[in-house]
Amino acid sequence: MAAKSRTAQAFQGGKSIRPGGFYWMRYVIPALIFYVVFMAYPMLDSVRLSLYEGTAGVRQYVGLANYVRLFTDEVVSKRFWNAFFNNWIFFAYHMILQNALGITFAAILTNRTMRGRQFYQTLIFIPCTVAVLVTGYLFKIMMNPQWTKAPLEAAGLGFLVHIPSGWLGDPGTALSAVSLVSVWQWVGIPTMMFVAAFQGIDDDLIEAASIEGANAWQQFTRIRIPLIVPVIGMVAIMTFVSNFNAFDVVFAMETLDGAPDYSTDLIGTLFYRYGVAGQHPVGIPEPGVGSAISTSIFAMLLCGVVPTLIKTQGKE
Amino acid sequence: MKKLLAIALAALMALLPVMSLAEGELTMGSWRTDDMEQVTALLAKYEELTGVKIVFQPTTSTQYNATLRQQLDGGIGPDLFYSRTYTTGAELYENGFNVVCNDIPGVKENFTETALDGFTAADGNIFAIPFAAVSHFVYYNKQIFADNGIEVPATFEEFLAVCEKLKAAGITPLSNGIAANWDILECVLCGMVPNYITAEERVAYEKGEKKLNDEVWVRILTDFSKLVPYLPEAFASIDNDQANVMFGLGQSAMLIDGSWSYGALNGDDYDIEVGFFPIPAPEGNAAGFSLHPDFGIAGNAASAHPEEVKAFLAWLASVDGAKVTAEVIPEGFLPLINADVAPEGSIIAEMNALGEGKNADRRFVWNMMALYTPIVEQLNAICRGEQTPEGAADVINATWEAELAK
Repeated sequence: MAAKSRTAQAFQGGKSIRPGGFYWMRYVIPALIFYVVFMAYPMLDSVRLSLYEGTAGVRQYVGLANYVRLFTDEVVSKRFWNAFFNNWIFFAYHMILQNALGITFAAILTNRTMRGRQFYQTLIFIPCTVAVLVTGYLFKIMMNPQWTKAPLEAAGLGFLVHIPSGWLGDPGTALSAVSLVSVWQWVGIPTMMFVAAFQGIDDDLIEAASIEGANAWQQFTRIRIPLIVPVIGMVAIMTFVSNFNAFDVVFAMETLDGAPDYSTDLIGTLFYRYGVAGQHPVGIPEPGVGSAISTSIFAMLLCGVVPTLIKTQGKE
Repeated sequence: MKKLLAIALAALMALLPVMSLAEGELTMGSWRTDDMEQVTALLAKYEELTGVKIVFQPTTSTQYNATLRQQLDGGIGPDLFYSRTYTTGAELYENGFNVVCNDIPGVKENFTETALDGFTAADGNIFAIPFAAVSHFVYYNKQIFADNGIEVPATFEEFLAVCEKLKAAGITPLSNGIAANWDILECVLCGMVPNYITAEERVAYEKGEKKLNDEVWVRILTDFSKLVPYLPEAFASIDNDQANVMFGLGQSAMLIDGSWSYGALNGDDYDIEVGFFPIPAPEGNAAGFSLHPDFGIAGNAASAHPEEVKAFLAWLASVDGAKVTAEVIPEGFLPLINADVAPEGSIIAEMNALGEGKNADRRFVWNMMALYTPIVEQLNAICRGEQTPEGAADVINATWEAELAK
């Protein structure tokens, strides 16, 4: 009797720390259903869609034709690799500049002698709370010499104006300009994560290090940075994934075509043009090609994310 | 499963307004939410005349195609719907959703071939009643013209002289830019083309009988390139909205844009006096006029009220119906009917008068959609000084030959 009740107790996860059985299943099921219906199924279905041609109603199985077209058609493949390459540059700006700035800001903000931390922290985070369409449009106006050349030159800041085409009108500078606006807007996110990570470091460690004679730079490079490597890895993955899904900043500042001359075309805008909206002005989308683009990118992202995860996670 | 869910949701959303309809009422779908007032007035007039009530149910422009498609697929589409022209409009017909309009009284009599062209499918059937067209004009600031003693130019050469004179006076002649990737082709180049080729010649180019790098085309692109020095310095960063704002604020003397912009340019936002004229033809060429069919009204082949739908389409195709339409149509949209229906003294009448007696044709690229993006790319390159008119013509011709060979 007593044994039986103990079993029952164990089954319900009572006093035992590691109860056996599959009692945990029922806690997982709601989330699992949610995940399968709203994430896994649509994702797999999109892979299936890439094997079809046509839009809803008249869909035809075409095998790998969409992939063949994506990688061999002169125009489509040119656009795809162009967008892919642009996306790496866009990512590099964020990875190097945004995350380095994030770590620097976080190191300064968590310095024990820092005053007014809350104020600066808020200041850095504010751009993240503004809609991309708004910041993008504002920067688009600000970077156009038509509107800002005269006032900037009057203020002695003429070097900020790119004459005559404007930063966004020159195929050589447009992608950098768009990337920098995005870096400016989102630098608050890694900053917050690094602040939290730095704050999690035990003060005793730093204290011990300073007693042993380590200077501030040594403390930073030998103790604080190694201790937040898992967070750096997480931030790197988030940057990677969100940059390869980027769309809005280009949409707001340049056109869906990634003007000028496709120099700001990213995978996101390319996918939207082919898969969702269709090329202007015909406007008949090709969901099959769009899915082929997203599936290919998904496979490529996976190749980047998995090694990063393995390398940076699990180092406690 | 997903498709089923989508259809069920679309059905539910579409049913909500339908359920509130009384017996015998028809619905009309549209992407022009801006036209609520005007179209409601038109439909009220129709109800007054015939007793048939039609309810206007527009959806957001960007979602119109998808929404309409789902409604039609699910058998719950509106009885009447706005139809796009050419390929996009024809696609719905090819899937059997449109009432064939060949036998609707008035269609063959009251519309020119050019007007019907945009609503004719590959098999020759007419899939919608032509409703409104747009044109492309040079808008000019009357004050700046008067201050500099400038008259409206009659030829392209005079037009260039006007630009030169304005530039010498320190005024930006044109506010057009290339950042939007569409208006430089749709408004500027397509506005120029009817001055150089007729509708018949256009068809010859479409069929490949004439080469897109012949003398005429090199001439068109060369004349286009002559406009580049008169664009704003930062033209590469200026999109269509900013070009409109520049002109509206008086920062440029002229703007080449679509007729649909007239209302906004002449509206309360700006404090300028606006005049307009078609891009003039070069000396020795017969002046053309760009008149591009923009949208039509189609009947739903699966409607529960087929007789009423046909009666309404016939009314739209009649001169009487077109007269009522012309009174309520938004400024800058021109009736497509081949009769004098514009109210006297109206902007529509003024715009129509500019095209009188001229070779009217639509945007030449609309039957060669594969050329749309390549031409925009070439025009941008010409503007940036990276391409010559001859080089651009060669690329465009090669692209079209490759497309025809497919």
